[in-house]
Amino acid sequence: MNKKKGFGLLAKQRASGWAFLTPAALLLFLTSFYPMVQAFITSLKTGSSARLKWSEPLFNNYTRMLKDTVFKTSMGNTFLYLIIQVPIMLILAILLAQLLNNKDLKFRGLFRTLIFLPCATSLVSYALIFKTLFAREGLINAMLLSLGIIKENVNWLGTPGTAKAVIIIAMLWRWTGYNMVFYLAGLQNIEYSVYEAANIDGANGWKTFWNVTVPLLRPVIVMTAIMSINGTLQLFDESVNLTAGGPSNTTITMSHYIYNNSLGSGVANFGYASAMSFVVFILVAVLALINMKVGDTRD
Amino acid sequence: MTDSRTRKRAVSHIQRKLIPSYIFLTIMAFLSVFPLFWMFTAATNTTVEVARGKIWFGSHLVENYKALIATDNLWQAMGNSFFYAFVQTIGSLLICSLAGYGFELYHDKGKDRLFAILLLAMMVPQVATLIPLFTMISKLKLLNTVWAFIIPGLSTTFLIMMFRQNSRNFPIDTMEAARIDGLSEIGIFFRMYFPMMKSTYAAAAVITFMGAWNSYMWPRTVMKGNAVKTMPMLVANMSNGYGVDYGMLMLGVLFASLPTIIIFFVLQKQFAEGITGAVK
Amino acid sequence: MKKFVAVLITLCLMLAVSSALADKLTVSAWDAAFNGSALQAAADDYKANVDPDFELEINIVSGSSDVENDMTLAGSSGDYSNLSDIVLFQDHFIQRYVADYPDCWVSLDDAGINWDDFGAEKLSYSTVDGVHYGVPVDNGTAIMAYRVDLLEQCGYTVADMTGITWDKFLEVGKEVYAKTGKALLSMDGSGNDLPYIMLQAEGKSQFKDGKPYITENEDLVKIIKVICEMAKEHVLILANDWTGYVNETVLQDQVAGVMNGNWMIPSMSLVTENSGKWEITTLPTLDGHEGYAANGGSSLYITANCKNLELAKKFLAYTFGGSTETYDNALRKGGVIGCCISAAQSGVYQEGVPFFNGQAIYSKIVEMGAHVPIVEQNDYHYTCRGYIGNAIQEVLMGGDVETALKTAEDQLLFAMGL
Repeated sequence: MNKKKGFGLLAKQRASGWAFLTPAALLLFLTSFYPMVQAFITSLKTGSSARLKWSEPLFNNYTRMLKDTVFKTSMGNTFLYLIIQVPIMLILAILLAQLLNNKDLKFRGLFRTLIFLPCATSLVSYALIFKTLFAREGLINAMLLSLGIIKENVNWLGTPGTAKAVIIIAMLWRWTGYNMVFYLAGLQNIEYSVYEAANIDGANGWKTFWNVTVPLLRPVIVMTAIMSINGTLQLFDESVNLTAGGPSNTTITMSHYIYNNSLGSGVANFGYASAMSFVVFILVAVLALINMKVGDTRD
Repeated sequence: MTDSRTRKRAVSHIQRKLIPSYIFLTIMAFLSVFPLFWMFTAATNTTVEVARGKIWFGSHLVENYKALIATDNLWQAMGNSFFYAFVQTIGSLLICSLAGYGFELYHDKGKDRLFAILLLAMMVPQVATLIPLFTMISKLKLLNTVWAFIIPGLSTTFLIMMFRQNSRNFPIDTMEAARIDGLSEIGIFFRMYFPMMKSTYAAAAVITFMGAWNSYMWPRTVMKGNAVKTMPMLVANMSNGYGVDYGMLMLGVLFASLPTIIIFFVLQKQFAEGITGAVK
Repeated sequence: MKKFVAVLITLCLMLAVSSALADKLTVSAWDAAFNGSALQAAADDYKANVDPDFELEINIVSGSSDVENDMTLAGSSGDYSNLSDIVLFQDHFIQRYVADYPDCWVSLDDAGINWDDFGAEKLSYSTVDGVHYGVPVDNGTAIMAYRVDLLEQCGYTVADMTGITWDKFLEVGKEVYAKTGKALLSMDGSGNDLPYIMLQAEGKSQFKDGKPYITENEDLVKIIKVICEMAKEHVLILANDWTGYVNETVLQDQVAGVMNGNWMIPSMSLVTENSGKWEITTLPTLDGHEGYAANGGSSLYITANCKNLELAKKFLAYTFGGSTETYDNALRKGGVIGCCISAAQSGVYQEGVPFFNGQAIYSKIVEMGAHVPIVEQNDYHYTCRGYIGNAIQEVLMGGDVETALKTAEDQLLFAMGL
């Protein structure tokens, strides 16, 4: 009797556990997985958006990608942003967090708030601000000219190399503070005594940073790295709003090119766009998986 | 006396060692804030002054405001944005915190596996889901409603993850005690979990509100007409005309940015605590 | 008695109308100050002179591409319920939309519009297989505007610059740059309107028989060479994008000449210190005949979502179909120059414009619009423009013209699936 009641309670508890997560899980299936399945089906089709038919051969949209020079460029650009921007941002964020985690530092709250602020601005606004700052007759050029660093106005957004740099700088500006907050939080979970011990051992700041801080922050680093990789591989707004992918598609990202193929330039090629977005999905998933495996300390 | 002097010397020694930190942080803070500062000053200048890169405050604020409210229904858009972001925040927090609570405190193998699958949802690119989601919302006859705005963001892997991590700090013993006291499972959630997790909720609220307030692409797809226009749409509408009034535009940008900045300022202490719990 | 019957009928009509919802229409447009003002002018006109209960809700979106995206979304999901009753979009899209989503459009052949009152080139876009789907709103006729004072410093007049070759233009441009430091021309380098406008002035298209006509199109090759040379000689500033074009070249007063669709005029007029110093004329061409072209005009289309078709047709026919009041106010308040030939006879169109040295530019623009040659259109118009723009940028970065254009042609063929 007693036993039976205990079992009933446990079952009830287990059931309520499932009940609690059901709405969220269902919604995720409905808003992420189901559309993704649909996108996969669409990726096997061709034709105008209203009258799609199965492509011939079935995986035509996928083989088509191999011949698409713009898609290859967009992939190269996206990975370039990923390889340069994500490490710089994460290292800078850890560094800032490390500096701000010092109990003797004054105005910590103020510094933290100011550095976090950029990510409160909306995308539309921040793109506008950066475009104006880096315009040919903009403030940045005016400042560099008066400092004698450059001799004539640089066309930042109109030259492939500098345009990519501006995109990276803009992303650094917006997201470094955001990541910093996570690291700061991670650091606050580390006992202060660990540092004191390191100091007694005579480790200098740099050594402490690499040998104590970074390993202890590993889980946070994995999390922020996955978020950043995901964000960068799906990078869209910066490419659209800052450079429109130009000059000559040299800064276009994968998501931007996918968008251009589905909406954007009037010719809706949903089948092809869906195929490309499926490739992005797989890329992100694989990279995230590698990241989790590398970051996993348990085995 | 001597003691306090040595301490003072020690303090000043520490502060001296921190000078490079101060310099570096000041530069970073300046770089972070400068573009925002420029947004403030630009809102007080004329179009030509903004285009020519004037840095300091001007005297055109009132004119810009008049032009702004003449061009579009600013306060309606502010109201809409606020309403949608608010409903989104409440809804997402409720659904995701319940899920995080369920995943962590009732965890078993099945749930852990499900969670691993749900992690994949984070990697689904937005461009890919735009059209299927639009079709879904339109079939449900929900276009132009608050539901259309909030549904895709109601359940996000990120929030579930955050609550799941934070739930580790929730003592299991308390749950047992509550059960013995006769509290139902859902009762434990609302009466015990909810009040204890306040800072997590605050952090999640800041992130969700910011995301909802600033979201553009999805609302733009499903919300049509002046009655449901949001702030990012209003700003985007002003920035793409044939001839753009930059002073007025920057004032619009300012209005679009202020609420999220204010909310962060107000909740920043809880925000930091909530994030701290999430990365433990 | 007659009066009594008339009153009775009106009353009945009004009752019928008020019971069958209000006389309300919705319309989508994308620039509050420009086409938004024109639509408001039309709504006020219709309300004052035809139907006092009329109401028009104007939905302003952030760009013409937003209206186009709405069309694609609605068409592909087969759900038109979120479209406005009437939509305004750029002329190049309707052909494709009628082909892809035929049930989304409404023929305007029975709306009672005198189609002869519009330029043939303009109508060639919105007419599909002889059926009229759209009512033209703004006129995209391209103008070539010069700063009279700066030309004078170099010893030229606007008359000297009319009917000239691009080579001559280049030569004058070099002088102007040397003497005044200003470029004779500027353009949005990513939107690449420039080669399109120049090519249309030659009466040619980037397409021939439905296929890209790029590397074998001698005029286009010459035009690209001229553009690149002008850019290298500081005669032409190619801005990075539209904002850069308006901001950095026009608003910051860096140019002595502007060539674009006439909707550029309101932006030019913002630089008030140059008022009275501008004049407009026709476009240069490769062989020196007077060039005419159009860029970026738009038309209004009724969608399948419109519940009150009769009203929508009546409204469009009355206002943009030829009402002087609509066109006059659209011009006065929004700077929108229409394409309706008879409406351009009115007073406002004949007035001299102080900013343009007292020249009666509006009637001149409508007159120029009638000369614009019809050229072959294609669904991939904007895609093609994108690739040609890329080719120009590649040449400016050190590439050679033939290779760059070959790349553009290959990419376009790829995009078209040919």
